[in-house]
Amino acid sequence: MHRILLVEDNEMNRDMLSRRLQKRGYEVLIAVDGQLGVEMAQAESPDLILMDMSLPVMDGWEATRSLKAAPETSSIPVIALTAHAMSTDRERALEAGCDDYDTKPIELPRLLGKIEALIGGNRPVRVENNS
Amino acid sequence: MSELPKPIEEHVQHTLPRKLLHDLRTPLSHILGYSELLIEEMQESGNVEFIPHVEKIRKAGRELVAMMTENFSSK
Repeated sequence: MHRILLVEDNEMNRDMLSRRLQKRGYEVLIAVDGQLGVEMAQAESPDLILMDMSLPVMDGWEATRSLKAAPETSSIPVIALTAHAMSTDRERALEAGCDDYDTKPIELPRLLGKIEALIGGNRPVRVENNS
Repeated sequence: MSELPKPIEEHVQHTLPRKLLHDLRTPLSHILGYSELLIEEMQESGNVEFIPHVEKIRKAGRELVAMMTENFSSK
Protein backbone atom coordinates (compact mmCIF):
# COMPACT_ATOMS: atom_id res chain seq x y z
CA MET A 1 0.00 0.00 0.00
CA HIS A 2 1.39 3.40 -0.98
CA ARG A 3 1.75 5.96 1.78
CA ILE A 4 0.93 9.61 1.16
CA LEU A 5 1.81 12.40 3.57
CA LEU A 6 -0.85 15.12 3.46
CA VAL A 7 0.43 18.44 4.83
CA GLU A 8 -2.66 20.60 5.28
CA ASP A 9 -3.73 23.00 8.02
CA ASN A 10 -7.42 23.20 7.11
CA GLU A 11 -9.32 20.55 9.05
CA MET A 12 -12.09 20.05 6.49
CA ASN A 13 -9.66 19.74 3.60
CA ARG A 14 -7.65 17.18 5.61
CA ASP A 15 -10.72 15.14 6.50
CA MET A 16 -12.21 15.20 3.01
CA LEU A 17 -9.04 14.45 1.04
CA SER A 18 -7.68 11.82 3.43
CA ARG A 19 -10.99 9.92 3.38
CA ARG A 20 -11.16 9.98 -0.40
CA LEU A 21 -7.57 8.80 -0.76
CA GLN A 22 -8.06 6.04 1.82
CA LYS A 23 -11.07 4.80 -0.14
CA ARG A 24 -8.73 4.33 -3.10
CA GLY A 25 -6.29 2.22 -1.14
CA TYR A 26 -3.74 4.78 -0.01
CA GLU A 27 -2.47 5.02 3.55
CA VAL A 28 -2.60 8.70 4.51
CA LEU A 29 -0.32 10.33 7.06
CA ILE A 30 -1.25 13.80 8.28
CA ALA A 31 0.78 16.86 9.26
CA VAL A 32 -0.88 20.17 10.12
CA ASP A 33 1.96 22.60 9.38
CA GLY A 34 5.10 22.77 7.28
CA GLN A 35 7.52 22.10 10.11
CA LEU A 36 5.64 18.97 11.17
CA GLY A 37 5.44 17.96 7.52
CA VAL A 38 9.22 18.06 7.18
CA GLU A 39 9.69 16.13 10.44
CA MET A 40 7.14 13.50 9.48
CA ALA A 41 8.64 13.07 6.00
CA GLN A 42 12.05 12.45 7.58
CA ALA A 43 10.64 9.99 10.10
CA GLU A 44 8.17 8.11 7.89
CA SER A 45 9.62 8.31 4.34
CA PRO A 46 6.24 8.44 2.57
CA ASP A 47 5.95 7.55 -1.12
CA LEU A 48 4.58 11.01 -1.96
CA ILE A 49 3.76 14.31 -0.26
CA LEU A 50 0.71 16.48 -0.92
CA MET A 51 1.78 19.92 0.25
CA ASP A 52 -0.59 22.79 0.89
CA MET A 53 1.44 25.94 0.34
CA SER A 54 -0.24 28.39 2.72
CA LEU A 55 0.71 26.76 6.01
CA PRO A 56 1.41 28.05 9.52
CA VAL A 57 4.81 27.81 11.26
CA MET A 58 6.65 26.98 8.00
CA ASP A 59 4.93 27.56 4.67
CA GLY A 60 4.81 24.97 1.89
CA TRP A 61 7.48 26.64 -0.22
CA GLU A 62 10.01 26.64 2.60
CA ALA A 63 9.06 23.11 3.67
CA THR A 64 9.54 21.84 0.11
CA ARG A 65 12.90 23.56 -0.22
CA SER A 66 13.95 21.97 3.06
CA LEU A 67 12.77 18.50 1.94
CA LYS A 68 14.52 18.75 -1.42
CA ALA A 69 17.76 19.94 0.21
CA ALA A 70 17.97 16.96 2.56
CA PRO A 71 19.40 13.74 1.03
CA GLU A 72 16.98 11.49 2.94
CA THR A 73 13.86 13.27 1.60
CA SER A 74 15.01 14.81 -1.68
CA SER A 75 13.67 11.95 -3.82
CA ILE A 76 10.14 11.98 -2.34
CA PRO A 77 7.78 13.50 -4.95
CA VAL A 78 5.94 16.60 -3.76
CA ILE A 79 2.68 17.84 -5.28
CA ALA A 80 1.83 21.42 -4.33
CA LEU A 81 -1.81 22.09 -3.51
CA THR A 82 -2.95 25.67 -3.41
CA ALA A 83 -6.03 27.83 -3.62
CA HIS A 84 -3.96 30.30 -5.65
CA ALA A 85 -4.55 29.56 -9.32
CA MET A 86 -2.37 32.01 -11.22
CA SER A 87 0.32 30.77 -13.59
CA THR A 88 2.93 32.49 -11.40
CA ASP A 89 1.83 30.35 -8.45
CA ARG A 90 2.59 27.21 -10.43
CA GLU A 91 6.02 28.53 -11.40
CA ARG A 92 6.73 29.50 -7.79
CA ALA A 93 5.84 26.01 -6.55
CA LEU A 94 8.01 24.32 -9.18
CA GLU A 95 10.89 26.67 -8.39
CA ALA A 96 10.68 25.62 -4.73
CA GLY A 97 11.24 22.03 -5.89
CA CYS A 98 7.70 20.69 -6.16
CA ASP A 99 7.37 17.92 -8.75
CA ASP A 100 3.84 18.89 -9.72
CA TYR A 101 1.11 21.33 -8.82
CA ASP A 102 -2.65 21.25 -8.46
CA THR A 103 -5.26 23.81 -7.52
CA LYS A 104 -8.12 23.77 -5.06
CA PRO A 105 -10.91 22.87 -5.33
CA ILE A 106 -9.37 19.48 -5.98
CA GLU A 107 -10.61 17.53 -8.99
CA LEU A 108 -9.88 14.08 -7.64
CA PRO A 109 -9.46 12.18 -10.94
CA ARG A 110 -6.93 14.82 -12.07
CA LEU A 111 -5.04 14.68 -8.76
CA LEU A 112 -5.06 10.86 -8.76
CA GLY A 113 -3.56 10.94 -12.25
CA LYS A 114 -0.72 13.13 -11.00
CA ILE A 115 -0.17 10.94 -7.93
CA GLU A 116 -0.08 7.77 -10.03
CA ALA A 117 2.27 9.38 -12.56
CA LEU A 118 4.75 10.21 -9.80
CA ILE A 119 4.46 7.06 -7.71
CA GLY A 120 4.16 4.79 -10.74
CA GLY A 121 2.66 1.32 -11.16
CA ASN A 122 0.66 -0.64 -8.59
CA ARG A 123 -2.51 1.27 -9.25
CA PRO A 124 -4.70 1.29 -6.13
CA VAL A 125 -8.33 0.20 -5.97
CA ARG A 126 -10.62 2.61 -7.80
CA VAL A 127 -13.93 3.85 -6.47
CA GLU A 128 -16.51 5.01 -8.98
CA ASN A 129 -16.53 8.79 -9.13
CA ASN A 130 -18.97 11.17 -10.74
CA SER A 131 -16.72 14.21 -10.81
CA MET B 1 -14.42 61.57 -12.13
CA SER B 2 -10.74 61.78 -11.33
CA GLU B 3 -8.49 58.81 -11.89
CA LEU B 4 -7.53 56.64 -8.94
CA PRO B 5 -3.98 56.92 -7.63
CA LYS B 6 -1.81 54.22 -9.22
CA PRO B 7 -1.31 52.10 -6.06
CA ILE B 8 -5.07 52.02 -5.42
CA GLU B 9 -5.83 51.21 -9.05
CA GLU B 10 -3.29 48.38 -8.90
CA HIS B 11 -4.87 47.08 -5.70
CA VAL B 12 -8.41 47.19 -7.11
CA GLN B 13 -7.47 45.63 -10.44
CA HIS B 14 -5.02 42.96 -9.33
CA THR B 15 -4.68 42.36 -5.59
CA LEU B 16 -8.39 42.30 -4.73
CA PRO B 17 -9.40 39.81 -7.46
CA ARG B 18 -6.45 37.59 -6.54
CA LYS B 19 -7.36 37.62 -2.85
CA LEU B 20 -11.03 37.09 -3.62
CA LEU B 21 -10.22 34.16 -5.89
CA HIS B 22 -8.11 32.54 -3.19
CA ASP B 23 -10.62 33.17 -0.39
CA LEU B 24 -13.56 31.81 -2.39
CA ARG B 25 -11.71 28.66 -3.38
CA THR B 26 -11.40 27.41 0.21
CA PRO B 27 -15.15 27.17 1.05
CA LEU B 28 -15.81 26.01 -2.50
CA SER B 29 -13.33 23.20 -1.90
CA HIS B 30 -15.39 22.12 1.09
CA ILE B 31 -18.69 22.27 -0.82
CA LEU B 32 -17.34 20.30 -3.76
CA GLY B 33 -15.22 17.85 -1.79
CA TYR B 34 -17.95 16.90 0.64
CA SER B 35 -20.63 16.69 -2.02
CA GLU B 36 -18.40 14.34 -4.06
CA LEU B 37 -17.60 12.32 -0.92
CA LEU B 38 -21.31 12.07 -0.10
CA ILE B 39 -22.09 10.86 -3.61
CA GLU B 40 -19.38 8.19 -3.33
CA GLU B 41 -20.64 7.03 0.06
CA MET B 42 -24.26 6.93 -1.06
CA GLN B 43 -23.23 4.87 -4.12
CA GLU B 44 -21.30 2.45 -1.91
CA SER B 45 -24.16 2.03 0.56
CA GLY B 46 -26.79 1.69 -2.18
CA ASN B 47 -28.66 4.66 -0.69
CA VAL B 48 -29.06 6.41 -4.02
CA GLU B 49 -32.27 8.37 -3.39
CA PHE B 50 -30.57 11.68 -2.58
CA ILE B 51 -27.72 11.45 -5.07
CA PRO B 52 -29.47 13.66 -7.69
CA HIS B 53 -29.87 16.43 -5.07
CA VAL B 54 -26.24 16.30 -3.98
CA GLU B 55 -25.25 16.18 -7.64
CA LYS B 56 -27.00 19.55 -8.10
CA ILE B 57 -24.90 21.05 -5.28
CA ARG B 58 -21.75 19.65 -6.85
CA LYS B 59 -22.69 20.94 -10.30
CA ALA B 60 -23.45 24.44 -8.95
CA GLY B 61 -20.10 24.48 -7.18
CA ARG B 62 -18.26 23.51 -10.35
CA GLU B 63 -20.08 26.27 -12.23
CA LEU B 64 -18.89 28.80 -9.64
CA VAL B 65 -15.31 27.60 -10.01
CA ALA B 66 -15.58 27.92 -13.79
CA MET B 67 -16.95 31.46 -13.48
CA MET B 68 -14.16 32.45 -11.10
CA THR B 69 -11.51 30.99 -13.34
CA GLU B 70 -12.95 32.70 -16.40
CA ASN B 71 -13.23 36.10 -14.73
CA PHE B 72 -10.11 36.21 -12.59
CA SER B 73 -7.46 33.93 -14.00
CA SER B 74 -6.00 36.52 -16.35
CA LYS B 75 -5.94 39.29 -13.74
